[in-house]
Formats: sequence, structure tokens, C-alpha cells
Amino acid sequence: MTADAAFGLPFSPRPGVLLGFAVAAAAASLWLLLPRGRAGRISRAVGILAGIASLSGFAAAGHRMGSLGEEFVFLTVATVAIVSAAATILTRSPVYSAIWFALALAGISGVLLVLGAQFLGVATIVVYAGAILVMFLFVLMLAQPSGLTPSDRISNEPLLSAIAGAVLVGLLTLSIGRLSAGSEDAAAGPAAAVEVADLSVDHVARLGGELFGRHLIAVEAAGVLLLVALIGAIAVVSRGEAAAVAEGRPAR
Amino acid sequence: MNPDSLAATAPADGMLLNGLLVGAVLFALGFVGILARRNMIVMFLSAELMLQGVSVSLVSWSRHHGDWGGQMLVIFVLTVAACEAAVALVFVLQAFARTGRLDVAAWQSLRESVVPRAVDHGLPEVDTHPQTWPRLTPAGIEPELEEDELLQREHV
Repeated sequence: MTADAAFGLPFSPRPGVLLGFAVAAAAASLWLLLPRGRAGRISRAVGILAGIASLSGFAAAGHRMGSLGEEFVFLTVATVAIVSAAATILTRSPVYSAIWFALALAGISGVLLVLGAQFLGVATIVVYAGAILVMFLFVLMLAQPSGLTPSDRISNEPLLSAIAGAVLVGLLTLSIGRLSAGSEDAAAGPAAAVEVADLSVDHVARLGGELFGRHLIAVEAAGVLLLVALIGAIAVVSRGEAAAVAEGRPAR
Repeated sequence: MNPDSLAATAPADGMLLNGLLVGAVLFALGFVGILARRNMIVMFLSAELMLQGVSVSLVSWSRHHGDWGGQMLVIFVLTVAACEAAVALVFVLQAFARTGRLDVAAWQSLRESVVPRAVDHGLPEVDTHPQTWPRLTPAGIEPELEEDELLQREHV
């Protein structure tokens, strides 16, 4: 179940050590790659190398899934998702950042597809990449001053932020590792044969039945929420324009 | 961890653990983005990344338990994210209209009185390299350009 057996490495690092290495490399990579004013080419190259090391550490610490094809597909889409998510927060230009986010969404929807949530995979593309991201780009085009502003070129406390993120991901992977250790204990017991329902059979029909059956009131509430958000957004914009005219600022 | 609490369900398989790992990494990347970046729109993109990380984790658990609850929650997360983006971007636009900057540090007068003022260190010099654009062979007469056209941004 653990990584070292499958790769047949001559040495067998403990998964905890491997994850610790991956987390440390991730922190170093984020620190080196976050916009820091005049970052040299060397530090950027070292950062990219540390990022690759961290990714391969995470890939080696991940768990085997049985089928090789499934594993390959999962590894590919997860790598696309994580690399483009990292590029989203690391590129200086906000427009490129938004476009990297679109690629990250493609990877995430691939992960959701592999996990058997077909509807959500497609809905993520339609709702996020199709609607929310385009809204972000609209606002960027409306608001972005020409060229890179100085605030895009430097970050708030890059070292502390990278360390905070690494501590967070370390804690999360620690609890995931304890989960797998507990499951190996449980797998030895008689409860290992519990069958769970397969959600991918008749997926969309059953999902719709669940959504409009058990969660019908929540759907209505979500509809009201969308309407209220729409009205609120329009109200804030129009009041802002009126206030701008009253103060003599140019209304856009 | 108490093994009895897990005995009621199937043991954690590789797919669940890998899904949780991907979700955790996405969440942490979004967290770093929120902390470190200063452009308000990039900060919102990072918040969306955190939401996506949580969604991946929820779908992993949903698949693991054979239960629709996680996927239902993700559907409502998508809905609320759309509302949140609409309202938040309006506020970003209003903030931009007041200061002319997308930098959150433009609003640091709202900080607590005991917090010292943030000062930028190591600001880069302005990039003086001229951007290279493709050149066309001049032909015909030179058009008279409007003032507005000359003020268009050169790059984004």
C-alpha cells in the first residue's frame, strides 16, 4: 500500500520522511518563486527545481490504486491541477494568473471525473471557467492599470507565507497518513468487506433525484441567494456611481 | 485513531487518500496566495482555489462512502462561489474607483492603530527594456491618430 514497495527503490524511505521532504521542498519552491522584486534567474531556476522535487515527493508518497491506467490518468490530471494552481499564485501578471487558473480548473475537473463525479466535473468547467473566470477577466480589463504595478512584483512576507502554507499542508497530510494507518488496521478486521454503493451508475439521473428530492428546499434557498446576490451587486454598483458623481469623481 | 470508528465503513483506499492529498495541496496553495499576493483579484482567485481544494476532498469522501452528501455540498459550494464572486468583484471595482489601485496595501489606513505601517522593501526598478513589437513596412500615408488611441494601454 505504501509507495516504496511499488517503486522498488533500493532504499525504502518511510512515508513520513518522504512527505516531510516534499513539504519542505514545496515551501522552498514557493518562497523562491513568489514575486520578490528583482528575483534573479538563478533563484527562479532553483525554485522550479525544488518545485519538481516536491511534486515527485508527493507523487511517490501517494498511494497505489490498483489499476495502472487509472493511476496514470489520476497522476496526470493531478499534476496539471497542482502545477497550474501554483502558477496561478506565482505569476506576476494578474491576467496570466487568471488564465493559469482556467488550466487549474481543467485539471481539477479531470480529478473530479476520475473520482467518479461526472456531473461536477462538467459543472466546474461550465460554472467556473465559463462564467466566474470570465467575470474575473472582465474586472481585470476594467480595473487593471497599464503594465505591471509595483504591488504585483512584490509579495507580502513571502517567506512567512510559504512556511505557513507548508505547515498547513504538512498537518493535513499528517492526518491523511493517520487515516491510512487506521484503515490498514481496519482492513485486517472482518469489516473489510463492507460494500459501498457505486455512484457512477446512472450518475446524473440519480444525482438529480437526490438534489431535487431530499435537497429541494436547499435548491430553492440557493435560487433566492443567487437573486439576492444579483440585486445586491447591481445596487452597490449604481450607488457607487451616484456617490462618485456627487463627489465630483469621474463615474465610469 | 479509533479503529472502531472506521470499521463501520470500507477501509480507506488509495483513491480516497490521493484525492485528499490533492485537495490538501490545492487548499494550501490557495492559502499561500491569499497571504502573499497583494492584487485583490489574485487574492480572490486564491480563495476560489481553496474552495476547489475543499470540493476535491468532499468528492473523495462522497465516493468513499457511496453517499451523495459530499457531491450535493459541492453543488451548493459552486452556487455560493458564483454569488460571492459577483458581490466581491463589485466591491473590488468600487475600491479601485476610489484609489485607482488594485493593491490591498492602498487600504492599510484601515489597520489597527497598534499595527505599524507596512513599508515596501526591495521595490524593483521599472523595467526599462522596450517591448518588441512586430514591425510592418510603412505604406501609404500616415494616418492622423486620435488622442484617445494613443492613450491605449500597451500591454496588460
